Amino acid sequence: MRKKIGEGYRALFGDSPRAFGTLGVLLLACLAVVPAKDHFREWSGYQSGYLKYIANRGDAATLKRRFEGGIHQDWLPELGVVDRCGTCHVALKEAVLAGTGPQPFRGHPVIPHNLERYGCVLCHGGQGVATTVEEAHRSSKAWEQPILPARYVEAGCGQCHQNTMTGTPELNQGRTLLAEYGCVRCHTVNVPGGGRMAASDHPPSLEHIAGKTTREWMYAWLKNPQAYAVSATMPNFQLSDDDARDITAFLVAQSTALEVAQGPAETGAAAAESGEGSSLYGESFCASCHAMQNAAGLLVGGNVGPELTRVGTKVKPEWLKAWLWNPGQWSPTTVMPHYRFDGKQIGLLARYLGSQTDSDFLAKVSLPPATAEQVAHGKKLVNERGCGSCHEMNGVKKPDNFAPDLSNVGSRSLEKIVFAPGVQEDLPSYLAAKIQHPHRFGPATKMPQFSLTAPQVDALVTALLAETDRAAGLPAALRVPGKVESDYQPAGPAGKLIADLRCFSCHAFNGRGGDMAPDLSIEGSAVQRGWLVSFLKNPNTLRPALIRRMPRFNLTDGEAQTLADYILTVYQTPAFEAGPLSAAGFTADQREHGRQLFYSKYACQACHIVDPKNDKGYVGPTLTQAGTRLNAAWIVHYLKDPQKMRPGNLEPNQHISDEDARDLAAFLMAQTKGGAQEARK
Amino acid sequence: MAATKQDTLGRLRETRVWQSVFRSGWGDSNLHRALAVQQNLFLHLFPAKMRRRSLDIGVTWYLGTLTLVAFFILVATGIPLMLYYHPSVPQAYADMKDLQFVVSAGVFLRNLHRWAAHAMVLLVFAHMARVFYRGAYRPPREFNWVVGVVLLLVTLFLSYTGYLLPWDQLAFWAITVGSNILSSVPVMGLKIRFLMLGGNTVNANALLRFYVLHCVILPLAAVAFIGVHFWRIRKDGGLYRDGHAAARAAESGEQRHG
Repeated sequence: MRKKIGEGYRALFGDSPRAFGTLGVLLLACLAVVPAKDHFREWSGYQSGYLKYIANRGDAATLKRRFEGGIHQDWLPELGVVDRCGTCHVALKEAVLAGTGPQPFRGHPVIPHNLERYGCVLCHGGQGVATTVEEAHRSSKAWEQPILPARYVEAGCGQCHQNTMTGTPELNQGRTLLAEYGCVRCHTVNVPGGGRMAASDHPPSLEHIAGKTTREWMYAWLKNPQAYAVSATMPNFQLSDDDARDITAFLVAQSTALEVAQGPAETGAAAAESGEGSSLYGESFCASCHAMQNAAGLLVGGNVGPELTRVGTKVKPEWLKAWLWNPGQWSPTTVMPHYRFDGKQIGLLARYLGSQTDSDFLAKVSLPPATAEQVAHGKKLVNERGCGSCHEMNGVKKPDNFAPDLSNVGSRSLEKIVFAPGVQEDLPSYLAAKIQHPHRFGPATKMPQFSLTAPQVDALVTALLAETDRAAGLPAALRVPGKVESDYQPAGPAGKLIADLRCFSCHAFNGRGGDMAPDLSIEGSAVQRGWLVSFLKNPNTLRPALIRRMPRFNLTDGEAQTLADYILTVYQTPAFEAGPLSAAGFTADQREHGRQLFYSKYACQACHIVDPKNDKGYVGPTLTQAGTRLNAAWIVHYLKDPQKMRPGNLEPNQHISDEDARDLAAFLMAQTKGGAQEARK
Repeated sequence: MAATKQDTLGRLRETRVWQSVFRSGWGDSNLHRALAVQQNLFLHLFPAKMRRRSLDIGVTWYLGTLTLVAFFILVATGIPLMLYYHPSVPQAYADMKDLQFVVSAGVFLRNLHRWAAHAMVLLVFAHMARVFYRGAYRPPREFNWVVGVVLLLVTLFLSYTGYLLPWDQLAFWAITVGSNILSSVPVMGLKIRFLMLGGNTVNANALLRFYVLHCVILPLAAVAFIGVHFWRIRKDGGLYRDGHAAARAAESGEQRHG
């Protein structure tokens, strides 16, 4: 045996030429690995797997014909993107495989974008150039952006889209939360294309806080804001008892008195029935903005203003009355309207709200008088905790860039992140953990504890993941800007009234304002003066199915007329002249023809009521008083293209001819019953 | 069969083409052998005669030859790599990715180039240590030692300039650190760094400069000095001499005549 081995060795390596030759052959054999590895690349296995997968399908021939082997690549030179995902995900464009079957053979769900034009990594992240599973999906030292987990995929949309879209609820909610919870007051988030994200919360100024509430309440609130109001957006700073005490000492010390005009004297409120305050609260639609917990513990009401469940425990009665009389005196930036309540109404509301108390809230709070050291320590804490980022206080400067800039947080390198123990080492998990439990990241973390639900955290993470380097560097042509609030300000006495009544809180005019109530930018073209004046004085709802309506602001005749005249003059559409058509110009034939069109051809009664006895339409506004409310010219133009006059309107565009529209207007202008009733009132 | 082969070769040697290339003629006399070496550009670096002993592995460990082989591998892999590489900031790293994911045998080419580069640096050091400990730097070879030191530096610069070309984080920071070290040279450190990087930080200019250095200037310098290095080996008396002969030669100055 040994002899044989010896012989073999000699035969192969016996002398220099043999050794040289043998080694050369061995080297060539080793080099053969190179083309072999090239041939058996990972993706070729997936491509043959796909052919096997479709082989048993009925449409195998069609799918096979459309299949093309080899590396598939999308190149987007203006974005510097090269995507080879289609090399393994071979069926992305096959509609019949959309959303079904195993990956990577699934088709892409239908989206508004062309896959070839936008590629994959623009939305999904990951390493597009890679042709191996590991390299394409996960992050490594050679590629820091892993694929975006499916639950955060809307972050991909948010890179280009700053606007609100119906298809991205998670992203929309996340951005709303960033604004509502005041995240962007401490953190800068630059919006690609200029500007920065703005907060939409209304943290009150604390410059006169001692006039509004007690030190005990401040203490209990600071310790746990959510114990006072479950919907409070102020985070819990997890202050120690002493720290909370010292901050209240400072807040009271820095507070200055505010001279405010007193409202009318309280008359007759004391003698009122016990339910009247609650009724007035309802009639004034306070609940449109303010929430209260009902007996079942559920929040009922809007989230524009603070929750009022325990407001009686918080505010001082004098403050409450002064506020109810004219909130703008206390806070010039408040969105709450000046309701012009009379003395009795203020008394009723103040008594009703004052009775909303919770004796447990302040039960255990007893604070000794503040010392100078406590005040000084409180001021130091206020500066350390960044209270000034949200609240104005005397002697406290608003800090600049109090918290880290989050403009490019979606591209943050994992190398630069310090993970808390137990946090999965990827960016979404880090962001979620940081939002949910900031204090897991060490005692030095200044970020307070927010009360957010798990879906809210996911939404916030989605919104933050959209803030990537790529988003910041997108070509302008791809960027879809968000809604930009104009700084429109109406002029003159009517402008003053509009500001005083805070019309912008609910209505939008010329691109500024809220969306709780209709946009009034062209309302002057739609309505008649008489109706508008009476509506402003005594608002009613136009739709039978709608209980909510505009609150009554106790306007004087003069104020209502000033407003009505301004609206009719200024808020006109450029699309048509209001003048030429008038009710008197219509003939009886036109009216009759219009009636037939209304009931037969266009079946308007499905949504509208003209004859209260027989019509059952509850969706659209009641039209019994259309003749006194609306302009004839408006009706004609509105019917011809409802969405042009009122974007987003439900009314279908039935492509009504000029003649039909005119006859329908003739019919509707004859409907003056409601108006007559209104006039009699 | 054998006779036929001889005849075929014989006829081939008589052709005009053969004789125009191999002008010294064929034969195994000393003259023919010496002419074969002297009249060939590639072979004339070698001595026409050498001692069999000097080819033993124990004499040189073949370290110089292995270094040369590593250099050949680097040239052979470097040229195809140049076909896939753009020395530009947006493209350089993407080209690495293409080599990794789509170019046939791209990973093999790149890895072979990289490992051969590491091997060459190691071999050059080993070669230098061998020469040092064997005393082969002593006269008459002192000039070739200096040439060897120049070649060592060229090798290190080749390695350093090649390091930047992948244009990844490692490359960027390595060159940043390296150039900062250079800037601590007294008086003109910052000027040297500016000259090397074509600016004050590692950027597009540095990438282009390093590319030109790595692919043109330094390889040409290496080839030139390797030529001198080999030529000097021959002129200084070959790879091996026994100690006595060397000592005698040193005394009489005979080595000048090689």
